[in-house]
Amino acid sequence: MIKKIKAGITVFPGSNCDADVYRVLNSVFGVSASFIWHKDEIKNLKEYDFIVIPGGFSYGDYLRSGALAARSPIMESVKDYSVKGGIVLGICNGFQILLEAGLLNGVMLANRSLKFECKDVYLKTLNTETPFTCAIKKGSVLKMPIAHHDGNYFATDSLISDLDEKKSVIFKYCDEKGEITASSNPNGSIRNIAGISNPAGNVMGLMPHPERSSEKILGSEDGGWIFKSIIKYIKEK
Amino acid sequence: MEIDKTKKQTGKLFGLSVEEYEKISELLGREPDPFELGIFSAMWSEHCSYKSSKVYLKTLPTEGSKVLIGPGENAGVVDFGDGDVLVFKMESHNHPSFIEPFQGSATGVGGIMRDIFTMGARPVANLNSLRFGSFSHPRTPYYLSEVVKGIGFYGNCMGVPTVGGEVVFDECYNDNILVNAFTIGIAKKDGIFLSSKCEVGNIVVYVGSATGMDGIHGATMASEEFDLKKNKKRSTVQVGDPFTEKLLLEACLEAMEKKLIVSIQDMGAAGLTSSSFEMADKSGKGMLIDLDAIPLRTAGMTPVEMMLSESQERMLIACEKEKFDELKAVFDKWGLNCVKAGEVIKEKVIKFYYKSKIYKTLDVDIIVNGPEYKRPLKKPEYLNKIKSVKINNNNNYKIPENLEDLAVKIITHPNIASKRTVFTQYDYSIGTATVVPPGFSAAVLRVNKTDADGGKGFLLNTSGNSRYTYLDPFTGGALAVTECSRNITACGGYPVAITDCLNFASPEDPEIMWQFAYAVEGIKSAAVKLNTPVISGNVSFYNETTKKEGDKTYVSKIYPTPVIGMVGFIDDAAKALTPFFKDEGDEIYMLGSIKGNLGGSLYMELAYGDFRQKPADLDLEYEVRLQSCLRALISKGFLKSAADISEGGIFTALAESAITNPEKTLGFNTDCVLEANALGLRIDEFLFSEFEQAFIITADKKTDLRRKPETDAILKEYGIKLEKIGRVEKGAMKINGIINLKSDKIKEGYDSKITGAAIF
Repeated sequence: MIKKIKAGITVFPGSNCDADVYRVLNSVFGVSASFIWHKDEIKNLKEYDFIVIPGGFSYGDYLRSGALAARSPIMESVKDYSVKGGIVLGICNGFQILLEAGLLNGVMLANRSLKFECKDVYLKTLNTETPFTCAIKKGSVLKMPIAHHDGNYFATDSLISDLDEKKSVIFKYCDEKGEITASSNPNGSIRNIAGISNPAGNVMGLMPHPERSSEKILGSEDGGWIFKSIIKYIKEK
Repeated sequence: MEIDKTKKQTGKLFGLSVEEYEKISELLGREPDPFELGIFSAMWSEHCSYKSSKVYLKTLPTEGSKVLIGPGENAGVVDFGDGDVLVFKMESHNHPSFIEPFQGSATGVGGIMRDIFTMGARPVANLNSLRFGSFSHPRTPYYLSEVVKGIGFYGNCMGVPTVGGEVVFDECYNDNILVNAFTIGIAKKDGIFLSSKCEVGNIVVYVGSATGMDGIHGATMASEEFDLKKNKKRSTVQVGDPFTEKLLLEACLEAMEKKLIVSIQDMGAAGLTSSSFEMADKSGKGMLIDLDAIPLRTAGMTPVEMMLSESQERMLIACEKEKFDELKAVFDKWGLNCVKAGEVIKEKVIKFYYKSKIYKTLDVDIIVNGPEYKRPLKKPEYLNKIKSVKINNNNNYKIPENLEDLAVKIITHPNIASKRTVFTQYDYSIGTATVVPPGFSAAVLRVNKTDADGGKGFLLNTSGNSRYTYLDPFTGGALAVTECSRNITACGGYPVAITDCLNFASPEDPEIMWQFAYAVEGIKSAAVKLNTPVISGNVSFYNETTKKEGDKTYVSKIYPTPVIGMVGFIDDAAKALTPFFKDEGDEIYMLGSIKGNLGGSLYMELAYGDFRQKPADLDLEYEVRLQSCLRALISKGFLKSAADISEGGIFTALAESAITNPEKTLGFNTDCVLEANALGLRIDEFLFSEFEQAFIITADKKTDLRRKPETDAILKEYGIKLEKIGRVEKGAMKINGIINLKSDKIKEGYDSKITGAAIF
């Protein structure tokens, strides 16, 4: 029997996309996913093939989105896991937590509209050679929903150059046809950035929700390509 | 007994009438002390006791084959099959939202969600029904943006999708906005928790946030009209913390799953008072309550302040003695208070301990069995002036020269234009269950099964039309139920049960009470005919404000606003139908009949400056056949879209169907003159009369719907007419030579109207 791929989903007080990620990984993609409570003292996450930090309002977004969760004991283990090459995916609040924890570079500002924005957006994949995008066809446009108040990613010029150089900008907001335009940017993020990776490419954060766009009945299966990529990468590794 | 006049004044300060104060004194055999007065004022308030409405609410149908629990508990419960149940309720938070719109609406959402998870159900969707003053009123943008922010703030953080609702503007709400919030949750049939199950010897446990000074006298405040000092009532509004409520939700569900809870009630209106007395009463028991144990935010709170605080995110639980430690461990894990606050006792009294001594003993029955009034009714004066109007061949109502301009005004009217700016501030996609998002007839949700298929789903809708209720309270009440049912039917679902939120002015005014009585009668008639029992709900009276203009003082009252929230079922959520047109070339049909009565319509207001005419009567018997007929056609898979005819009439139904397709903007070409002539109607009567008993449906040309023998059989079975009126086209909306509008341009106006509002 082929061994099932194992995923760990971190749960902080106030995480609220944990159950969605859990269900989609288990029942749509056949991954064996389980929850990791933030206080559980798992020193070693080695048993997991990948870790997902799901969206939500960890610690009620108090102080700053993601700031408190980033200092939770489990994040030390996640850091350790990533340094050793482990695959870490942060979605929405998970992306914010990865930035606050220093696993990814840059900062998150409030949306330009100063409003919570829930809608479908289109994404262009800039790098299809990462564990998160290796199953995505070059140039294809993905439709996924966003739902956030603080998704306005910002980075200084020198950081942008770094990101570009390492091919760390993974997703950009675009229009239906794949054109990266100002009007297709839902939150004012610099250069339409929707998702980035670390220089090594094994940690990625993005604002849109792939778990909400992995089934036809929900209007898009495009988000599923991220999970399919991770599975493909792990199987071929 | 001789009662001191000044003391009667004291009672009045607490919102009690002189008669009520006397009655309390008689029941106690003496005058109440301040602590008792506080408890009575909360429990005998209109908000908690339903003293003016009970007589009428009792007449509503509450039973049905799918109803498991009707009104009386925290929320109603219907059987969803396969061991699943749906738990739902709608509640008003009008007064707090007018005083402080952000916190008022936020805690309204928080409160209704607590009602749902108290029952053991995980909340899976929120809806809301909002009423604001005139769109051009200077304070409307402020209320609109703050209320919407408040709703999003709470619901988004809780991770419960807000999937639909209504936003209506009318000057009758200039001085009293309405915020009605609806939540539905899913539970297992054997996993329902009630407030009536306390056993003698159980420990009474207080969980959640500490008690603070906020919301004191909230229930009394919500049972009074506003006067000129509205802003001084801010301290009566609660302050919400959705993060704590999210923890409370998870902790409660975990404790329920582990069977650590015997009985539970949330601390909503009148906080610790209503939760303790109601739990005791419903269980037929009494309680010891140790006020020294209550966790406080403010040191030195007095007993009456503790009892009346409406601090949010708190629950009262009865638990078996030996399970307390395990219960506490669950709440510790989530970082929440969990303290022993008393015990369930046999004698039906509540004994309060304070500073380690018995402080007061109050009889449960006396407190809980508040007054019940059959208040005087009087047909409102204004109704004598409301007459039916026939505009055809009537020189007072000549047909406007440019119908096209009026059509544009209607489709871009704030009450019809897109509310996208509102609902995109709510997370509607969390939960991976939203199949049809907000902005269409009804929201459709699937049930997440582990095998990730489509499978069974449910539909949600809220509806209410205060103008029609003002013009004809009976028809308005019936229409609210019917309209919900039409929206659910148009998506391919069948209606199951309803919850109601009845928003009115002061019940002490016999004319308002008359409106109330007839509106409830209307709801009852429609609910009986459409087989949708009322399983929960709430009444909000005193939506009126005393105003001063120069030397003149007057009372600004809302129109009677009964709002219905309906739940329907669908066997396969993946097959839900949407109202918008799908493809060029599809054929457009009208199913049903058109009366052409423009009374009460937006058209009458915009074309002739007055909407105050009698609306058409509703033929409920016909309505049942019409909706059954539509469901039959949908179930055959013949249709590509279905839309009911509501505000703005057939024209609006056609135009919205053309421009709300998320993928492409379409148009139509219809011969409505032919139809209007055949019915003996003027074209404007045909195009703009509202809430007609008909649907606009489309089918693929190849289906050849009209000539199908199966269609004929269905139409004959239900006795319903079907007429082809045109086809779906690209680019323009054409009605004979009378209306020819560019779809893109109309869409732009329709989409930007609300977004364009000042600070919004």
